[in-house]
This record gives sequence, structure tokens and C-alpha cells, in this order.
Amino acid sequence: MGGSEERVVAVIMVGGPTKGTRFRPLSLNTPKPLFPLAGQPMVNHPISACKRIPNLAQIYLIGFYEEREFALFVSSISNELRVPVRYLKEDKPHGSAGGLYNFRDQIMEESPSHIFLLNCDVCCSFPLAEMLEAHMSYRGMGTILVIKVSPESANQFGELVADPVTNELLHYTEKPETFVRVSDRINCGVYIFTPDIFTAIQGVSSQRKDRATLRRVSSFEALQPANRSLPSDFVRLDQDILSPLAGKKQFYVYETTDYWEQIKTPGMSLKCSGLYLAQFRRTSPDLLASGDGTKNAAISGNVYIHPSAKVHPTAKIGPNASISANARIGAGVRLVNCIILDDVEIKENAVVIHAIVGWKSSIGRWSRVQASGDHNAKLGVTILGESVTVEDEVVVINSIVLPNKTMNVSVQEEIIL
Amino acid sequence: MKALILVGGFGTRLRPLTLSVPKPLVDFANKPMILHQIEALKSIGVTEVVLAINYQPEVMLNFLKDFEAKLEIKITCSQETEPLGTAGPLALARDKLIDESGEPFFVLNSDVISEYPLIEMIEFHKSHGGEASIMVTKVDEPSKYGVVVTEESTGKVERFVEKPKLFVGNKINAGIYLLNPSVLDRIQLRPTSIEKEIFPKIAAEGKLYAMVLLGFWMDIGQPKDYITGLRLYLDSLRKKASPKLATGTNIIGNVLVDESAKIGEGCLIGPDVAIGPGCVVESGVRLSCCTVMRGVRIKKHACISSSIIGWHSTVGQWARVENMTILGEDVHVCDEIYSNGGVVLPHKEIKSSILKPEIVM
Repeated sequence: MGGSEERVVAVIMVGGPTKGTRFRPLSLNTPKPLFPLAGQPMVNHPISACKRIPNLAQIYLIGFYEEREFALFVSSISNELRVPVRYLKEDKPHGSAGGLYNFRDQIMEESPSHIFLLNCDVCCSFPLAEMLEAHMSYRGMGTILVIKVSPESANQFGELVADPVTNELLHYTEKPETFVRVSDRINCGVYIFTPDIFTAIQGVSSQRKDRATLRRVSSFEALQPANRSLPSDFVRLDQDILSPLAGKKQFYVYETTDYWEQIKTPGMSLKCSGLYLAQFRRTSPDLLASGDGTKNAAISGNVYIHPSAKVHPTAKIGPNASISANARIGAGVRLVNCIILDDVEIKENAVVIHAIVGWKSSIGRWSRVQASGDHNAKLGVTILGESVTVEDEVVVINSIVLPNKTMNVSVQEEIIL
Repeated sequence: MKALILVGGFGTRLRPLTLSVPKPLVDFANKPMILHQIEALKSIGVTEVVLAINYQPEVMLNFLKDFEAKLEIKITCSQETEPLGTAGPLALARDKLIDESGEPFFVLNSDVISEYPLIEMIEFHKSHGGEASIMVTKVDEPSKYGVVVTEESTGKVERFVEKPKLFVGNKINAGIYLLNPSVLDRIQLRPTSIEKEIFPKIAAEGKLYAMVLLGFWMDIGQPKDYITGLRLYLDSLRKKASPKLATGTNIIGNVLVDESAKIGEGCLIGPDVAIGPGCVVESGVRLSCCTVMRGVRIKKHACISSSIIGWHSTVGQWARVENMTILGEDVHVCDEIYSNGGVVLPHKEIKSSILKPEIVM
């Protein structure tokens, strides 16, 4: 085991504004990585997990957002968690591995012995210290975090096969076309590499430069100017590195049995907020609210309430509710499975169930904002964008309302532009 | 002479277009909406235009700097910190609208496209000697709006009736006013409605007169009316025998094509089409009743009708786009796709057909 020489660097891919349109309407005004889950920005969760890595030297966030959107966040999180975080902006798409390669000079600045690569929109327990230990015992180029899923859901993911004894990655294909699956384990989007990953990525770039690809490109890729094939510096981790190198004793897997979800849609963000609230119950229960309806509001299950939020003692909150800064929750309000964002005002006796209420919105007296609670359905969680007003006694069910709208009539199953 | 243009807020009815630019900057007939009004005002000698806005002033101001220089007209913004309704913004802009000359000033609505007979309105205002003049327009369904009831011969306004259930008249407020500075003394700096609070008072004193707007009028604040408005606008160009209208064997009816746009062989364009700057329309394309904004590429054999294609989007080969499809900025419709009334937010790729009207976020 390495001593103080074994510095580790973590890289978190945060994406950019024109990618991830599935997170609309919440992403119309706020970068998705900064959207709060269980009271903390989405990207805080992997960053906090990185703190548990022994000898962590630096965390890099890589994405397409303008630097100024992350400048404030990066400096405050560095101070708050006492861990150095830097944001690096990609100038053009390089693919998941190409992005890492593009910034190899910065990443290798501290001569790390290991590099973690995490995707910001993954919700899991991030067992990074355990992964590092496992990786060091395998002695490969990289170790992938994997999880078992149900056979039905496995179909939406790549096919991944590992040796049950040695944990070597034997086979990997991204979204195979045949319906017969041999494996129920999937790639969690969390990886650890040794620096020779850069050599492997460079190898792919050079090969591509040397010969034309025979792969048929989609008509969308063909829109990119002067590209009839992928540019040589566009390298995807799964298709270009893991697939070809599977079975060559280069990559290994580490299996987690905890929870895992991808945070692609607002509905899933609500589900993942609940998962992180449950995690807080286990690891830091003092972050969660408590109350029995006498001096403070009655709290049921896992609830987060920001210290600056005001909640009337006759309200009943939870399970799975998260209330952000400066929110005001009025008398007799009932909140279940919801995220209430900053500066929201919820007036007396309103009910919010299975919903996300956007920043500065106003929910009228006796109004009802609810949904079926199916986190995967397009309209399964009601989403109110920034500055939406729901007037008194109005009912909004299974709907999505874009920012700055006023709901003065009840609606069901609608998208309000 | 001075003018105020009520620009207002978020333009949510024109989403997804207004997710990319503020509503006054959305192009109509190949020109930002507000430029139609500013040019009409400039042409009759207005020297200063005040924009009453409450949303994205930085974007507006940047854009306006360019036009101030080109048009040689002074353009300023009056920013509401809270929504002030339809009259409050006038009080807010008071100092900009009044000067020693005591001349009346125009008030226009940024959503309205029309003939703008402003010289005639000045004559009308002078001849009746009242305090305020408003333009009214005849509509088919007056009960959808507020009806203005006037004395036939003089045009003196008797009363306003909001969404009348019985027929009282078919002229509605067209959103174009010429006001004496004394009107500003009637307006307090708070949310106020000019139609419900201010005009009725002036009418009761017999000092409000209405002039019937001859020629086309349309509130283009939502996509359906935007498309109808384009038809009316192009029709008015035809009536004036405007050289701006396109001609050629591949053109049917009234069509506007920016000089920097390219149109391929074997296309059939029109009626009622506007093609913006830098557009490329490949060969064999059929376009009717649609707006194609700056930088759009329409690929071969595609067919588009009754739709709006947002800036820098592409429509794939053999795609069929119709029935109030609205594509936001940078939307790419793949080859052979069919869109029936799809409303698509910016930066999306449409890989599968949209069979019935739906919003794609």
C-alpha cells in the first residue's frame, strides 16, 4: 500500500447547458449540477464522497458551462469542505475519455498515482475508498463501479460481463442490439484509473487519425462541419476504451450493493433527493429535521429544512421533503415527497405531493400541487419552474409549468409553456 | 416628437421562441418585431422612443445600440421593477416623454403589427382637439376583446365594454394611442390599466376620440396569430406593390426572401412565406404559410407548412413539418421525420416523428 506518495485526483464530469435537455424546465435557469438534492447541490454529493479518498490532492470539475456560472460555487465549496476544487471548461466536445485527455496536463500536475472519474448526474453511495483499495489489489489500468439491476431495467444499459473470481472485465458493449442479455450488471459511471489511461486514449486518437472509420455516422453527427467521421480527439470511454480492452486484463470491476440511479430528469431528481435523505439518516442524522407539531412542525420520515426557511408549527412535512433557503411554509400546509426550492412561499392549507416547486414560486391557499409520483413517467412528478404562481384553490396535477407563469385555472396532464 | 412602446414581460405565449430572445427581438417578416414599430415612428419624425420593459434589459439594450446608430433615432429603456400594467409604465417614463414643446406622444404595443397610419392619426388628433386619440380596428369576434363604443360621426368614445355578451359594436382597441402630456397627470405610479381606469375617465369627460384603423392589424403575441399576421403583412406589401416581395417561377403568392438566403432548384415557395438571412433552402423543397428564421437549413425534398422554424435549426431531407409546428433555436429535425404540431424547445434533436401536437422539452 502506498504511503504519502500515492496522491489521488478526482475528476467529475458536469456536462453543459445544451446537453441534458431532459432536465428542463429546472435547467432553464440553473445549471443541472447545482440543482439541490437533499438540500445540497447535486455535484456536492460526489465532491463530499471524494473527501473520503485517502490522500486526495485535488478535485476537477470538467464541463461546458461558462466559467462564471461555476466560479462562485467552486470557491465556496472549496472553503466549506476544505478540499481544493477547480472548474475546467471544455472548448468543444471531446467525448467522455477525450475530455479527460484534453486536461491531462492539469490532472497530472500533482503526479497522482490514481485518477477517479465520476459523472455528476449519478446518484449512489460512492464507495470510493473501497474502490481504490480493490483497484490497487487488481493492479489493472482501471476499475469500474458496477451494480446488479433487474433484468427488465438492464436492457437500457450496456452489456457488461466480469469474471466472478478475478473481477476482470471480460466483455463490454454499449447498448447492444440483441435482446438476449447474459449479464445483469451495469456500469455505474464511476471509474478509477492509473495514469496509463492517457496512453490508451492517445492510442485511440492516433489510430483514428491514421485510418478512416467505417462506422456509419448518424445524420446528426454528419451535420458537424467537415466531419464525415469522428474527429481524432473525440474519444468515448465506453465504446473506444473499455470495449476494445475488455478481456485483456486491463480493466476490473468493483461491485456496489447500495443504491444507484441516474439523475436525468426532474422526476428522478426527486427520487434521488429521497435516496440521499435516507443516506443522511444513516450517516449524518443531525442534518435532518425533527419535530412533533408542538413547538415545531410535525416531521414524518426523512426531511431536510434549510436553517433560514420558516415553517409554521401547524404544517406537516414529509416523508422525503426538502425545503431550501428562505422558503416560507404557512399554517396547515402538507408537504409529501417534494423539493421546495429557494424563496418559495406556500400559503395556508396548501398541499404539495410528489412535486418540485421552483425558486421564488408562490403556492396559494388551499391549492393543491400533486402528481402520481411515478419518477420515470414524463408527467409523473409535477414540476413548477422558477417564479410560478399557483392561485388560491387551484389544482395542478401531473403537469409541468415553465417559469414565470400564473396558474389561475386547474389543470391535469399538461405542459404549460 | 416622442413615443413609448409597451414591451412588458416574459412573452410566455411565444415560447419556445422567447426562450432564446426577449419577445420584441423575435423576428417577424425578417425583422425584429420591435423594429417594425420603431421604423414606422421614425418615418413620421419621432426623434425619441422609450421602451417600457421589465425583462432582460441588458439583451434589449445591446441590440438597441446597433439600431440607434443605424436609424439615427434615440432609443432608451424605462425599466419597471414591478409590473405596472398598461398605464403605470407611462407614469414611470414621464420625464422622458414630456418636454417644453407640449407635443402629444405616441404609445404603441409591442405585440401589434399593423399599417401604422400615424400621420393620419396626428391630423385626426389635431382636428378633434381632445386630450387623447386611440386607434380602433374592426374584428370578427369582438367579444374576445374589449369593445370601444363610439359616436359614429365624430369618433368620440362613449364607453368601453369588456368582452360584451350582447353586440354593442365590433371595434376593439388596437393598442395605438396618441396622448397629450396632460394624460400623464391622470396616471399614478402603480399597477394601472389604461383601458379599465384611465381611458374610461377621459371618455366620460368627452375628451377621448377613436379613429378606425384601415388596413391590417394583428396581435402577434402567440404562434397562431403570428402566422396569420404574416399573411396580412405580406398582403399589405402586395397592395403597395412592394419590390421586397420575391418573384420567380418557383414563387407562389406573397413571399419574402432575404437577399442573403439561397434557394435551390425545383422548389415551390409560397404563399405567405418569409425566409430570413443566411437561410439555405435546398432543392425540391415545398414551403407554404411559414416563417424560416435566420441561419436555418432546409434539406432536400422537405415540405413545411403553417409552421415557424427557429434560428439556426435544420429540417432534414424528406421531412414533413406542418400544423403549427414551432421549432425553437437550434432544433434539428432528422431526415424523413414527420411533425404534426410539435412545439420543440431549443437545442433539441427530433429523431422520431411527432404524430399529434405535443411539446418536446
